[in-house]
Amino acid sequence: MSKPAGGPESLPVGTAGFITILACICLYLLFFVWLFALTGLLLNHSSWAFAQFYPTRKIAKFERPIQPLTPGSDYDRVRALMRQLGISGEVGSFESSENPDRLDFNITRPGRVYQVQADLKAGRAEVAITEFNGWGVVRMLHTFIAARSDDTRDGSHWFMIRVWAFAMDAVAAGLAFMVLSSLYMWWALREKRTAGVFALALGLALCVLFLSGLRWL
Amino acid sequence: MGWLYRISRDLHLYTGLFISPFVLVFAVSAVFLIHGWIPGSSKRPSCRTANDLPIPSGLERLSGREQAKALRGVLERLNVRGEVALIRAIPIEHRLATLIVIPGREVSTELNLETRSAAVTERNPGIWSAMAYLHKTPGQHLANLRGNWFYMRIWRWLADGTVCLVLFLSISCVYLWAVLRAERRIGLALIASGAVSFLGLVYAVVK
Repeated sequence: MSKPAGGPESLPVGTAGFITILACICLYLLFFVWLFALTGLLLNHSSWAFAQFYPTRKIAKFERPIQPLTPGSDYDRVRALMRQLGISGEVGSFESSENPDRLDFNITRPGRVYQVQADLKAGRAEVAITEFNGWGVVRMLHTFIAARSDDTRDGSHWFMIRVWAFAMDAVAAGLAFMVLSSLYMWWALREKRTAGVFALALGLALCVLFLSGLRWL
Repeated sequence: MGWLYRISRDLHLYTGLFISPFVLVFAVSAVFLIHGWIPGSSKRPSCRTANDLPIPSGLERLSGREQAKALRGVLERLNVRGEVALIRAIPIEHRLATLIVIPGREVSTELNLETRSAAVTERNPGIWSAMAYLHKTPGQHLANLRGNWFYMRIWRWLADGTVCLVLFLSISCVYLWAVLRAERRIGLALIASGAVSFLGLVYAVVK
């Protein structure tokens, strides 16, 4: 195959290296970008029949004896109980029960929700497991990391959710870098500036309208 | 193949430029949503009351977009515009609580259907909050209510368009890279390492 006309080798000095970096980031993040783009589409069209997950959920229940828990904070006791039950995942926010003999909480991970109801006095715990299909899994991967603004558990989140959140931060940073470096490279292409300004201005105007302009219309 | 490369490259450039502000909005707001923190969201609200409102009969019995549509007259009298994001009826007290959102501004109203009065609370959390709101809009909840304001129906198209153009850009990126023979080996290695990272993470989170 011959070299395509107008390839990176014909770009102004300094931008060819940028193109390589940009392509590298794009190729590395390809699957992450596809996941978040496609699941974003699914979330915005939750009525699409082929991607339903809630009606086909499967629920299983089991009951198990539990050992007495040592005193501690609610989250310490929840984690101790999770270890006993062999469950891992993100603890959903819960309110402390008025009854000290009860400990009820939810554990979530993409595609699966555990509802635990423990009777500490009787030494028994009931666990209901709700499992979703693949569409449920991918949707939850998109929203799983969203922290609640009223969540006060500093550093007490599930390890894997922190890893996932870090990965998502990296994807966001990668996308922002790709956008900014693209702008730099485009500006170096003098013959593409006029049409490029038009395309960029159109996108920018629409964004500004929705971010700020609607309040003043 | 030269013409295909040139067309792909130009389309990649111009669609990328058009979509770049949207991608920045989604990327920045993603960080806010991941960490549950939005700058400026703690600004103090302003409160006011209004009386003698033109509350349509049977408002309580409506639901979804019909209820939002019926509320428009009342909201205009209150000088409130925007997407009706939430309606919560409290029948026993003959009250209707609503949340009306324009990106960057949130107005909650407590309508008393018996006394035809309302308490209005307005917050202006600003542009960062607007980004987070737009990121989550239209979203997966309240499908029968959302899109009741013209501009949010346009945003729905823009959000879908952003996804489609991002998919196009990623595919055209792969094509433009594949044309460059000198970069193929490192590109393949990056795709493979990206796939391994992605699948490994997903497996660890889901399994």
